[in-house]
Amino acid sequence: MNTETSQIVVLQTNKRKVLLASSLAFILAAAILSVFILPAEFNRDPLGVGEALGISGLSQPGAVSVETLNKEEAAFHQDSVSFQLLPFEFVEYKYPLSKGSSMLYHWAVTKSRSGEASAVSFDFHGESHEVEDYEESYSEGEGDHEGGTLIAPFEGIHGWFWANHGAEAVTVTLSTTGFYTESLEFRDGFVKKQILK
Amino acid sequence: MLIPVFATAHNLSGANARFVEGLDGLAVIPYMYLGAKHMVTGYDHLLYLVGVVFFLLRLKDVLLYVSLFTLGHSITLMGGVLLEWNVNAYLIDAIIGLSVAYKAFENMNGFKQVFGFTLNARAAVLIFGLFHGLGLATKLQGLSLSADSLVINMLSFNVGVEIGQALALACIVVILGQWRQRNSFQKQAFAANTVLMSLGFMLAGYQFSAYLWA
Repeated sequence: MNTETSQIVVLQTNKRKVLLASSLAFILAAAILSVFILPAEFNRDPLGVGEALGISGLSQPGAVSVETLNKEEAAFHQDSVSFQLLPFEFVEYKYPLSKGSSMLYHWAVTKSRSGEASAVSFDFHGESHEVEDYEESYSEGEGDHEGGTLIAPFEGIHGWFWANHGAEAVTVTLSTTGFYTESLEFRDGFVKKQILK
Repeated sequence: MLIPVFATAHNLSGANARFVEGLDGLAVIPYMYLGAKHMVTGYDHLLYLVGVVFFLLRLKDVLLYVSLFTLGHSITLMGGVLLEWNVNAYLIDAIIGLSVAYKAFENMNGFKQVFGFTLNARAAVLIFGLFHGLGLATKLQGLSLSADSLVINMLSFNVGVEIGQALALACIVVILGQWRQRNSFQKQAFAANTVLMSLGFMLAGYQFSAYLWA
């Protein structure tokens, strides 16, 4: 409620004209939304016209496949390894995964001699390729087995550190499937890289 | 987060977003470029600007209104990012769509004719500027920014937004200026604002649908 707006030129209109134009604008918008935009973009077809025009779900499959392509650039692989750890030995085993890539995993530890379950110290973690020295632990502690799914929160190498603090030699057996192409084994100061086929 | 393909005209698109996420630390020019690109290709901001300057004849008024809009969106762009407000991008974009319809209604002198009073156009442009800034903030927050250079990168984005806005405005003002000199302008102006209002409703409906179903 002020007079300053008078310096702006406004159209000479009347109430009827404005109401008519506003209704027209609203109806036009509602019509285009329900006939074209909702069926094509959101796969919602309130009038059934989208189906008839063949535009229903136009953006749905594209959206999904682009998302999938982005995430899973690497091929799908399976990997099974075991390590023998003497008392006070340790090993690290990791896979390079891009951000959003998934991996299913399971590992278990047994005493090499008797085959009984045996606990080790472990740290399941990732190291970033993008941010220097950035590490994130997904799970750590003492245990004789663990399994689950990892969706890599960032691009980098992701995997396990196992250390045998017991008095007997143990065997760690790991099985994974996921979207990686190689594995890295860190042991005794050496890195062993293996291209998975 | 799933970014549907249709939203790429408005959101920072996938490849750009991934590039920026890969950046570490200071990145003045990339963020500036993204800010400018977002403004020049963001049809909701452009439509609102068309509505705002539609009947502003003097450059002085254009500068005044655009400054108020800039003040509004800069406050919430920076405030939103720094205070980590989590507003829903779709809802904000729906309000931005409604701001277009509002401005067209105001251009039709609708408030006086229909409701018998006028609202302060300057206050309105400032307030809607605040909403547009929240929209910009959600876009910038969508790119997981690295914290170490957040302020500089955000300022770069904001500067880019103003550069993009100035470029877009220059075109809009020149075209409107040419159009106004034609005799048919008075007649077409009303129709043009009706179309503008309809586009505003469409944008609002589109974004609200995306909020519900995307």
